[in-house]
Formats: sequence, structure tokens, C-alpha cells
Amino acid sequence: MSRNNGMDRRQLLKLAGLSAAGLGLTAAGCGSGSGGSGGPVTIRHSWWGADDRAKKVQQCVGLFEKKHPKIKVKTDFQQYPDFWKKFNTQAAGGNPPDVIQNAVTFLRKYEAKNVLLDLSPQVEKGNLDLGGFRAGLEKFAEIDGKLLGVPVGSNSMALVIDEKVYEKAGITPEIGWTWDDWLAGMQKIRSGQKIAGDAGPHGVMYLYDLILRQNGKAFFTEDGMGFGEAELLPYWTEALERVKAGLYADPNKVEQIKPASATAKGLSAGEFTWDNFSVRYSAEGKSSYGLAPIPSTDGKKTGQYLGSLMLSGTARTKHPAEVATFISFMTHDPEVARIMGYDRGVPATTAQFEAFQPTDAPSKAIAAYETSIADAGVLEPITPHPAGADVIEAAFLRIGADLALGKTSPKDSVKQFFSEAKTALAAN
Amino acid sequence: MTHIQISPGAVVSGDDRSVTERSGPEGGAPPDGGKPPGRRENLAGYLFMSPWIAGFLFLIAGPMVFSLYLSFTEYNLFEAPRWIGLQNFTDMFADPRWRQSVKVTSWYVLIGTPVKLAAALAVAMLLAQKRWGQSFYRAAFYAPSLIGASVSAAIVWRALFSDDAIVDRTQKVFGFEVGGWIGDPSMIIYALIALTVWQFGAPMVIFLAGLKQVPRELYEAAEVDGAGPWRRFFHITLPMISPVLFFNVLLETIHSFQIFGSAYIVSNGSCGPADATLVYTCYLYEQGFVNSRMGFASAMGWLLLVAVGLVTAVLFWSQKRWVHYEEGGR
Repeated sequence: MSRNNGMDRRQLLKLAGLSAAGLGLTAAGCGSGSGGSGGPVTIRHSWWGADDRAKKVQQCVGLFEKKHPKIKVKTDFQQYPDFWKKFNTQAAGGNPPDVIQNAVTFLRKYEAKNVLLDLSPQVEKGNLDLGGFRAGLEKFAEIDGKLLGVPVGSNSMALVIDEKVYEKAGITPEIGWTWDDWLAGMQKIRSGQKIAGDAGPHGVMYLYDLILRQNGKAFFTEDGMGFGEAELLPYWTEALERVKAGLYADPNKVEQIKPASATAKGLSAGEFTWDNFSVRYSAEGKSSYGLAPIPSTDGKKTGQYLGSLMLSGTARTKHPAEVATFISFMTHDPEVARIMGYDRGVPATTAQFEAFQPTDAPSKAIAAYETSIADAGVLEPITPHPAGADVIEAAFLRIGADLALGKTSPKDSVKQFFSEAKTALAAN
Repeated sequence: MTHIQISPGAVVSGDDRSVTERSGPEGGAPPDGGKPPGRRENLAGYLFMSPWIAGFLFLIAGPMVFSLYLSFTEYNLFEAPRWIGLQNFTDMFADPRWRQSVKVTSWYVLIGTPVKLAAALAVAMLLAQKRWGQSFYRAAFYAPSLIGASVSAAIVWRALFSDDAIVDRTQKVFGFEVGGWIGDPSMIIYALIALTVWQFGAPMVIFLAGLKQVPRELYEAAEVDGAGPWRRFFHITLPMISPVLFFNVLLETIHSFQIFGSAYIVSNGSCGPADATLVYTCYLYEQGFVNSRMGFASAMGWLLLVAVGLVTAVLFWSQKRWVHYEEGGR
């Protein structure tokens, strides 16, 4: 019996050996195929967003694979916070996706850690076309002479308003209105219709950045914070007063309807957010929604700039040429623009901008809004975001919300924020 | 090499003998004459165990040792870990959010565990009585603990306790204008506790088994002596099931310390509002995977291990005072 077993085992080993060799051969075959001999190459692309963005991206990828039969694209997506948790782990393990959706908040963080691919050699080789980008977007993701990303769309901060509430109150926000005008409007809405004027803007980092820029400062410098406790304390003290006065929405209720938006759920007459997000409001809410300009201190300078989602390659990729080809396709192909619409902002290249003529009301509003701020000449260059900016943004939002709930004093909140910001800057 | 291979075999055979000697009917010789198992057999044993051993070494022991090392370093996943000694631990005690996480977790363990066990015992006592449809009730009460740990249950919980949802409306019927619990920093923790209490199925089954072991004669004798239901409960039931109670207390306490999923989901991934559901593991996760402070997160993990170990030790030490084993046991 034992001898029989032995024989069986030996046979089994032989078999195993053979199949292992077979696997090795196949692997070798694959290797040679993906090398220079022109076989199919697979690159991985991942992004954040909801299901409908996933469907659109998938459609674009199908189109790309048809036009470039030798490149296959494997896709993957998550919600925004989960995306970065997964990416961090993948990148640390040396196995990040080849192409990712990216934003300015993360550029320096991953540049410092050598995670992002410098795309400039690919521009020279002709794999990546940098022509035809709209004004202000040409050198969007250039840091220290390296090209770390290519914008796929542009967006800008805006005030999303519930048009019915504003109409009933008889308020028409116009370019040139000031913070005092905005406040007076909120008071009128509050007294006339018993609804808060705003969802509570004090945790929105990008809005506070605009307010700082209106006053000659900025949220970040290249390697640190662009403001101090002296600026933030009055801002948050005032915010708490406005929550108590009912000018800002009840934070307790705002918390419970998340991830839905407070304005769409009828808790406030408006809120500050990115203009391309406005697409979601008509789906979530019952009213009609519009985009109002950002108020300013002096009626002129709004501090606005074009923000953008971009596509970046990762430094570990074995196929930089294919990565560049894919990014080039996604930013220039007119068909991609017709599929994506304004989902990731207004298309970054003129070819794509002209290819997509919006017919739905939210997209039309976004197009009109971006044209209006460009015509008003308020756009300025974006300020840099240091490594750790993502963590600081999350802390600002969280502590701002805690403050509104009345759990901590404005003074303690400000202290806590700067202490966390310091840790984030040191750790990243 | 030979020596190492032989010695575990010798130990095993020695153990075998002592076991057979103790439990054998007349303390006679073991059936195989006490011959130590052959080297081949040992080897085969280790071979069969090797997947588990490999898994343990590479997936549990290795990462644990590495994380112990990381707890003394600053490590952001991308750059090499930098040795900083006890800095992570001192940072922790100085961090108000860490203190908040300890507070929230302690509160959750202190309130949630006893209430859950009381519910489990109460229902077990009801179900221990013979009645029609008994097995249906047992299954029905056990069911929540099967699905309770799932993401979907936590999402349903969030919906139940939100503003203007069913709990809020019921409160209003009775004249309590509390509002939704989810957005209220002082209430949301109780929604979490309710979720854990609702999953009392596992301890309930164990209690049920314990209750079945209590001899009926004791109750009959007590009844004859005129003892009421409360007296019988405190003087017969509780002491008789105290070993089972101890087991449940131990298990549920350890389990409660590790709460993560429900807190994360009920708070919509924020562990808020105002850090009201910032349980220990939630903060650990945030520090590690969001803020890229893996060294700090490792240090937190090890401190949790030590804390749970201490609490377990205290529970074991306390059992002398309240756990009654049958004669012949300890």
C-alpha cells in the first residue's frame, strides 16, 4: 500500500512538474507578447465616482479598444474616499493601476513619494498630444518641470441655489454681488420662508480658499498653511452664530441626510460646491436649481480659478507609451466628450468642448456659468496644494461640522484644526 | 535537525500516555503499548499541518511582529519606516481624538455588553420553557445575530434612526421631541448599542444550553420551601449558570472592544457626528489608511491588544468570587 502511494506520489509530482513548466512557458509567451513584439498590452485604469460615471467611462474604454486593438484597458472604480484608501495600499505595495483619475490636492503628495509618472517624455515622443487645451488648462499639473497629469475637464466653485426659494424672496444673484448682499438675502429668506439660506459653508475648504484669496491670502502655500488662527477664529465664530440664528441649516439634520445634499433635500436655499456637481441636484431634489456667482468682498475679486479632474500615469507602469496614448485619447477624442458630457467638468480641450453641445438643463447651466465667469474676467491661477492637503481638507470639513453641532467652542476647534494640519503636513 | 524532529514526537507520546492513564478504565497500558509514533508519521503530520503553519507564520505571526516594530516608527507606507522610539505612544496620550476614541469605546463596552447579555438571558429563559412553536421562536430570535453583523443591517439601522424615520416618529407619538439619533452626537452611540443588543442570538443560544443543565429538582425543592420566582432566579439559576455567564461575559467584552463595521457604516464612514461614534478601531483605521500614519496605527493596535488582555485577566481573576463550578471541577 505504501509503495503504491509512493508511486502515485511520484506520478503526481511528475504531473505537477510538467504543468508548472507549462505555466512557465505560457507566462514566458505572455511576457514576450507584451514586450516590443507588438502583442496586446493590458493597462489598468481606475477612478472614483458613482455608477453612471462608471458606465460612461466603460463606454469610452470600449471605443478606445476598438481604435487601438493592441491595448486592452482593465477598469476599476470606487467612491471618492474609498478610492484613495485603496490606491494608497496599492501604490505602497508597488502595484498601482497604470492610469488614475487625479486631482490637484494629491499631486504633491504623490510626487513626493515618486508615485506619479512624468508624462513629458511621452509628449516629446508624440504619444501624448498637449495641443488644443482651453485657456488656463495647458500646464495644469506641472510641478517642478514634471508633467504629472492631464486635465479631462474644468470646473469652478459656484453657489447652487434653489431657484423657487430665491424667486419667492425676490432675490436675483448677479456677478458683482458682495457677501453683505448674500447675507441680506439669507436673512430675507429666513424671515419670509422659515428656511435656512445656506447648508453651512464653514467646512468647505475650497470656498474658504476663495475668501482668503479675496483678501490677498490663500489656504495653502507650496509647503504649508497660507493663513493662521487669527483669520479662522472670526470666520468660525461667525459661523456658529449663524447656525444658532437659523441662517445656516440645522447641522443635526444635515448630518442625517448624508450623502444627499442639504439643498436638494430642502434644508437650505443654497450651498457652495463645484459647478459640475449641480447635475445631481435635479435628480435628488424636487425643486429647480441654478448656479449663482460667488459673492466677493469688494464686488470685483472672487478669487476663482478653474479646478480640474485629471488623468495621471503611475511611475511603476511597464507601458508608459500606452498610458500616454490612452490619456491622449480620453482628452482629445470628440466621441469621448459626447459620452462623458459634463460629468467630469467642462471638457478641457476645444475639440471636445465643441463636440458636446448640452441639451439638458443642468449641463446648459454649467456651460452658461463657466462662460459667464470667463467673460467677467475673475479667473486667476490656482494656488498650490502641499503634500497632506487631502488630510487637511478632510479635517477642515469634519471639525467645521463638529463646531456647528455645538460640541466644541470656535477657539478649541481652530486649535484642533491647526494641530491636525501640522501633523498631516509632517506625516506626508 | 534530527533532534528537533524527534523531540516533539516524544512530547506528544508522553502526553498521550498521561491522558490514557488518567482516563483509561483501569489505568492500564495504552492500547498501542505506548510506542512513540514513528518518525515518518510525525513527518506526515507536519506535512499535513504545513499549510496552516505557513499561513500562521506568514499571515499572522509575521505581520504581528512587523507591526510591533512599526509601532516604534514613523511609517507613511511609501518611505522606509523611521525609528522614533516611544513617540507614537506619547503622541497618542496627547491627542484629544485618541482620548475621545477610548472614551467612546469604553462607554460602548460598559453599557452595551451588560444590556446585551441581560437581553440574551431574559429571552433564553423565556425560550427554555416548553411551549408550542418553540423551535420557531428560537430560530426567530437567533436570526438577527446571523445578519446583524452585515453591512445591510447597519444601513437599515441608519435609516431607522434617522430624522423623521420610524424611531423619530414613534418618539413623537409618546411626546419625546428628540429628533433623529443619527445626527445627534449625544444619541447616536445608543443607536449603536441598540444594534449590538439586537444581535443577542449567539450568547442566547449558549445561555439556553446552560439553563437546560440546571437540575429541575432544585427548583422543585425551592418551590416547596416557598421561594418566589426572583429568589429562585438569584439563588438557583444565576449561580448554576455562572460558568456559562462567565464565558459569555468574556466573549462579548472582547468582541465589543473590537467594534468597527457598525460604527463605520451607521455614521456614514465619518465616525461622527462630532466624533460621537469614534470607536477605537475606527480611529485606528483612519490614522492608518486615510492619514497614512501606519506606525501610529500599529501602536494603537498593540495598545488595544494589551488593554483587552488586561481586562480579560481581571475577569479571570474575578471569577473566583462569582463563578461556581460543580464539585469536582475547579
